[in-house]
Amino acid sequence: MGTRGIHPWNPLFHDNVSGMKRRGAIAVPVLLSLIVCLPALLAAYPPAARAADVLKIGVLAPLSGPFAAGGSSFVQAATLAVEQANAEGGALGRRIEIAVSDTEGRVDVARSETLRLISREKVNALVGAYLSEETMGVMETASARKTVLLVPIAATAEITDRIRKERGRYRYVFRVGYSIPQWAETLAAFLKDREVRRFAFVGTGIRWNRELGNVLEKIAARDGIAVSYAGYYSPGNPAFDPVAVAAAASAPDIVVLGDPGKNSLSFLKRFRELSPGVPVLSVGGALGDARLAPSLPLSGPLFVQAAAWKGSSPPATAYVERFEKRFGSAPVGYSDTLPFDAVTVLVAAWRQAGSADADGVVAALEKGAFPGAAGTYRFDDSHQAIWGAGTGTLRGTVIRWERDGGRIVFPANGSPP
Amino acid sequence: MTALPQLILDGILTGATYALMAAGLSLILGVVKVVNLSHGAFFTLGAYVAFAISSQGTEYHPVAAVLLAAGIAFAFGVFLGKSFINPIHTNYFSVTVGTLAFSLLFEQGAQFLWGPHPQIIAVGRSFEGPFGTTVRYWGAASLFACAALFAGLRVLLSSRWGLPLQLISEDEEIAESVGIDVEKVRYLTFGAASAVAAVAGALLAPSAAIVPTMGRSPLVLSLIVVIVSGMERLWAGFLLAVGLGLLSNLGAFYLAPEWSYILLLATVCAILAMRPAGLAGVTISRDA
Repeated sequence: MGTRGIHPWNPLFHDNVSGMKRRGAIAVPVLLSLIVCLPALLAAYPPAARAADVLKIGVLAPLSGPFAAGGSSFVQAATLAVEQANAEGGALGRRIEIAVSDTEGRVDVARSETLRLISREKVNALVGAYLSEETMGVMETASARKTVLLVPIAATAEITDRIRKERGRYRYVFRVGYSIPQWAETLAAFLKDREVRRFAFVGTGIRWNRELGNVLEKIAARDGIAVSYAGYYSPGNPAFDPVAVAAAASAPDIVVLGDPGKNSLSFLKRFRELSPGVPVLSVGGALGDARLAPSLPLSGPLFVQAAAWKGSSPPATAYVERFEKRFGSAPVGYSDTLPFDAVTVLVAAWRQAGSADADGVVAALEKGAFPGAAGTYRFDDSHQAIWGAGTGTLRGTVIRWERDGGRIVFPANGSPP
Repeated sequence: MTALPQLILDGILTGATYALMAAGLSLILGVVKVVNLSHGAFFTLGAYVAFAISSQGTEYHPVAAVLLAAGIAFAFGVFLGKSFINPIHTNYFSVTVGTLAFSLLFEQGAQFLWGPHPQIIAVGRSFEGPFGTTVRYWGAASLFACAALFAGLRVLLSSRWGLPLQLISEDEEIAESVGIDVEKVRYLTFGAASAVAAVAGALLAPSAAIVPTMGRSPLVLSLIVVIVSGMERLWAGFLLAVGLGLLSNLGAFYLAPEWSYILLLATVCAILAMRPAGLAGVTISRDA
């Protein structure tokens, strides 16, 4: 018997654990779980379409966890590309659908979701994933199942190295986004254009960011541009302050910020407090988000590299306007633009091949030219889209943030050659 | 700018933020006697409240953000403490897993409400300090808040108002036998500690990218501070937090940034190996 029975008038005395409270302890988490999960449950069971009437693209992106922001943009862009393709009549006389999988930014989940998309969702091709590590896992599974995979974001050189070395096995994999050397070439060209002599490279301590820092250092050295400092903060528990102090103390002409994720915002804030006027060049991603522009620390120039931007070409402008109309905000020019182009290229390859058969699509991708928002995609022998400074290549752009939006500053004439 | 004074100053300010989070967690461990893994979620809640205020188009007012964040977190903390923690508080593993689940639910809820994209608040002013240093506005604010909180807790615990907390912390049965409503004190303490975490989040919001998962790292660091400092002496926790902040900053600068966390955790392991009950040397006791 509880003490409430002895002292019913005294609010200071009561039972320790009543049955009602135990039931409350169960009801509260269940109720909260239902409230939070309801939208996801509704989204997970859309009205089914007949499989024979559709071509299905499996989209692999992190929709939860630390990379959810990039993954969300990825899916928005893929959705937009599919809507546009369907408005143009679909492909092969069929409607196009996407089946979205949340990789959580984890290699094991990305692998199992790839298998699920291929074997249960019966997708015709895949677009993804996001991180280099998870994309390597997806690449293995997709190749083993002879399913075409278009890689929009992951930049590690290991992807194209594998295709080059084991072409028979990995022939179904094509990278739409820029590789590390191509990315570094673009950044180095911008540094040269700005007459930079010394730059500091700050990145996050993951494989591809280190690759980018090392390759950029070598390429920039050809033009006599030296590194004043290179530091990589831990992605899990980043020590922004000491890296900002070290970068500022090295007195660079510009800081190249290699991290495209949310941590780049925190670092930029810390760095700006110490060195308000030193220019910063971001490789893109979170710092390309126009919604953040009003609150960005713009005491010094802030440049952002992007695959495409409004005004960089007529297709890019059309894409940005459609994106704004559909989602209410401008694309960041990287984690959305490249997936948009990956889906657009895939649909064009289906149309050119006249079939969704994997071998036919591979042949079409190897030979064809495919227009997208960032330019016309052609693939080299290692199935890498040709980005660079040469004629007829995809070039990308660099913008400078102002309070009222981004201005294209590189290439100088605004349009790639 | 001179590097060493700046690193020392930043280390102290970083440590103060760890200490601010740890103070609330220490209160929960000492009085409610549960490991609360939802503490980071309240930190995130505070940051989002600050963002919501700043996005109203008016100038960001940290005092308004802090007060509103504290009020909302207190109300939600009391609700959580009363409806979920109190009924099962003797089942330690259930509480630990349950609070972790709440934390993950909160992250999903925040993502649903504000989206997964990072949000930011204008960073605010910084000003020149001694030895050519730059004093960060938010860092100075959190140091001030931390000092005020620790002083306030010290005064509270040595006054008659703090007696119920001390009695419950030492022996719940004795506290109950003298007429203290232990359950009420527990959920009010949970609410107050949640409010402290939200205040930390609101104060630090201008320094960071506001995302649903931003509370994870402060939770781990504050748990480290509480466990290593030993909960009994508040100032031990504060000094340890500042020490770890300094160690982290100097390690990152003089070794390499990625070594900073490893160095911090290695130091923590070494301290616990030498003093398993923490620096204050008092073993955690639980009265079920």
